[in-house]
Amino acid sequence: MGAAPKAIEPAETQVPRRQFLMWLSSVGVVGSALAAIFSTFVFMKPRATYGQPNRFRIGRPEEFPTGARIAIDTKRVCIVRDGDKLAAISTTCTHLGCIVAPSATGFHCPCHGSQFDVDGNVTGGPAPKALPWYLVTITPSGELEVDKDTEIQMGTYLSV
Amino acid sequence: MRLALAVVSLVVLVGSGVVIVDQFHSQWQDHQKAYFNQALGLAKTPAERAALDGRTPRLEQVIATGFGDARVDRCESCHIASDDPRFTQGKEPLRTHPYSAEMGDVLKDGRWERRHKFTEFGCTACHDGQGRGLDKADAHGEETEWPRPMSGYTTQADWDKNIAGHLKGKEFLQANCVRCHADKDFAGAPEVAKGRALFFKTGCFGCHRIEGISSGTLGPDLSEEGKERKVDYLWGHIVDPRAYTPTSIMPKFKLTDDERKSLVIFLKSRQGVDYSSSAVAGYKLAGTTNKPVPESAIAVESTLSTSLTSAARGEKLIEGYACLSCHKLDDHDGGISPDLSREGLLRDEQWLTDHFKNPRSRVPDSDMPVFGLPENDYRDMAAYLLTRNSPAPAATPAETYKNLCARCHGEKGDGKGINSTYIDPAPRDLTLAEFMANKPESRLINSIQNGVPGTSMPPWSKVLTADQTKGVLDYVWASFVKTPHRQLKPRKIPDVNPVAMTPESIHQGEAIYLQRCTGCHGRKADGHGPNSLDISPRPRNLRNAAFVQATSDRRLLESITYGVEGTAMPSWIDYGLSQNQIGDILNYIRSLNAEPKTGK
Repeated sequence: MGAAPKAIEPAETQVPRRQFLMWLSSVGVVGSALAAIFSTFVFMKPRATYGQPNRFRIGRPEEFPTGARIAIDTKRVCIVRDGDKLAAISTTCTHLGCIVAPSATGFHCPCHGSQFDVDGNVTGGPAPKALPWYLVTITPSGELEVDKDTEIQMGTYLSV
Repeated sequence: MRLALAVVSLVVLVGSGVVIVDQFHSQWQDHQKAYFNQALGLAKTPAERAALDGRTPRLEQVIATGFGDARVDRCESCHIASDDPRFTQGKEPLRTHPYSAEMGDVLKDGRWERRHKFTEFGCTACHDGQGRGLDKADAHGEETEWPRPMSGYTTQADWDKNIAGHLKGKEFLQANCVRCHADKDFAGAPEVAKGRALFFKTGCFGCHRIEGISSGTLGPDLSEEGKERKVDYLWGHIVDPRAYTPTSIMPKFKLTDDERKSLVIFLKSRQGVDYSSSAVAGYKLAGTTNKPVPESAIAVESTLSTSLTSAARGEKLIEGYACLSCHKLDDHDGGISPDLSREGLLRDEQWLTDHFKNPRSRVPDSDMPVFGLPENDYRDMAAYLLTRNSPAPAATPAETYKNLCARCHGEKGDGKGINSTYIDPAPRDLTLAEFMANKPESRLINSIQNGVPGTSMPPWSKVLTADQTKGVLDYVWASFVKTPHRQLKPRKIPDVNPVAMTPESIHQGEAIYLQRCTGCHGRKADGHGPNSLDISPRPRNLRNAAFVQATSDRRLLESITYGVEGTAMPSWIDYGLSQNQIGDILNYIRSLNAEPKTGK
């Protein structure tokens, strides 16, 4: 301190310091705000719900003989097996959510007469979309597990 | 100022970051990641590998609705390998749940199929614990508030260290098997069956009621004990009832640790509603008033052959019916109730039968339960006890005292023998010189020879000769009383109550009684007044009809008028009661015991 030109220097460095502190504070405040918002929104999607689980085991492959189309109404899914190929097709009508029943030609909805073919494609009635297929896997203990949270391409079979 | 703001805001940022990381990262995710890695290593076919591909940790839960309230079990979030047969050698939590043929699992084509599928039963139906918990301490029920810690596995921090060690082991799970497999001899739960047999063999059924099993009334109903209590309480309460419930009158039974374990498991299995019965069935069952015949009666009956004589049958019954878990008979000593070894000389048949049917008909404060056994069994048991009639062998007075008296009156004569806490009125403290020395010797001899009616002191006249009696008394005097006999001043007491027994007199007596006597003898005259707890010897129960009826007017008048030396009973004539008032009180006390209660 003392000489005039030198007196400017602290003023010059003070501005970056202030800016730096401001920047730091903003990062802190905005960051915590974002974190708070993030965690709030994360809680909107619960990790677990108390409905019947969307992933469930339905027994061993041997329980479904080849050519069978067995509807499990409580789970709203129909297990179809053709030789070594096995798949799970939804039995919830894409129209208004009634339970469709397997018929000779595919599926038939009792409420408003929607018709589906064996793969679940709409062939008649008011249903707007085909019946979705769900992922089927084999658990290590040898049981089939259907995951209704994961829809798969129509015609994708699990080979057993 | 700006620096402070910057620092504070950064601290908040870091703080919220820590909270978020803490909240969004859990143990079970680590376990699942480890599982995916290990499973990928174990996968043999491409299909197995494909099934694992892209699996990310997710919460695994079973909602079991079939058994009582719906239960949410998330155990498999950590124990994700429990149904994966490749992990039999794994380390918990990544380990296959054992398969067991005993539990109905079937080995089919090289693969085990479970009888109790986890998707149907969940985990907590058998294991207990907190199904919703997502970290180990919560899920296993380690928190001391949680009512159902994992059976046989988790002990809570506030459990007594001496007890907690006994409460581990998979046998404890059997308590939950019988919630569905409720039939009596379910082979899968041998510990429960053993505990059930012990419940009868130890005599528990005499006091405790269990829905559909027993109908005792003296102790609490145990129908839902397993739901209300944790195993540490059950164990501790069996070991020492008063440690857990200070007012308990339950005796300390002599049991081995194995027997305690079976009993605890049996009691833990008493959970009220069983899963297999509907709510309506449970409601109907609760409404029935039938008294179950003790299973032990049936079990014992089946071991008896018809050719036995009445007395021989009685001997078997006394062994079979748990009498000896309290009483003493020869070398077998339950340590709680009087010695039956010479019962044939102490009591007659009428006394014994009355006592079996209702112990309180003869000893009004007896804590022996009414067992409710078949009548002819009582007759045979009495017949057997009457054969126990060998007089005391000639021995020194010291030995005689030790053999016959010490069990109640104590080795030191202080009235604190091993079973003294269970005897009411308590055995006399023979070291109480003030009391002993102020009684004429004839009365003491009389108490020994003829017993004291209404108490557990039996008449010894047939067991001991007059000389032996005198010898024992002399021994007591020399060893415990240690005071020279006193020359008692003759007191002027009428032999018969001079006040006539009239309603007015009784009424007067009641009024005085309520003013003067209730503090110790109680408003009900049952000896349980508010001061009674601090007084030793305890105030006399004046509703003990057998005692009051057998005691002369003279003695009662003397006790009231001059007090009882060595006890808290004061001399009421000093407190201003007149002879007539004392006569009124006596009439009142007699009126309380007027109806002959014995023999009913």
